[in-house]
Amino acid sequence: SAQVRISVEGMTCKSCVRNIEEHVGKQDGVQSVEVSLEDKEALICYEKAKTSATALRDLIDDMGFEASLVL
Amino acid sequence: RHEFSMEMTCEGCSNAATRVLTKAGGTDIVTDLASKKVLVTSDKSSDELLEILKKTGKAITYVGPVN
Ligand SMILES: [Cu+2]
Ligand SMILES: [Cu+2]
Repeated sequence: SAQVRISVEGMTCKSCVRNIEEHVGKQDGVQSVEVSLEDKEALICYEKAKTSATALRDLIDDMGFEASLVL
Repeated sequence: RHEFSMEMTCEGCSNAATRVLTKAGGTDIVTDLASKKVLVTSDKSSDELLEILKKTGKAITYVGPVN
């Protein structure tokens, strides 16, 4: 299992946070997802065999939030 | 020009709709939180636009073409 930290721009409230947590949480291979409105970040644990850091970044970006990997 | 009805609860949602449509080459994008309306001009079909908007994770339906 692996972990990725993604910077997420554009969230305005708790409902944005919940939307991302629910949507990302439904993806195959995602074990846990924690989104912080204050830190503008998502912390995701996932199975390497099923998904990747860039796929998860793209997923959030396609949701309409500017997403980039934090190294 | 297409009209969609999208479940939007805050600025984050309407900005997200605008962002994905802009990224897809849409122009003249109008979003209205109160009426849940999303208007866009695009070369893409309504089905393609619907798929793009669905990726926001919000409930979305196609209303129809508008002038
Ligand atoms: Cu919000
Ligand atoms: Cu919202």
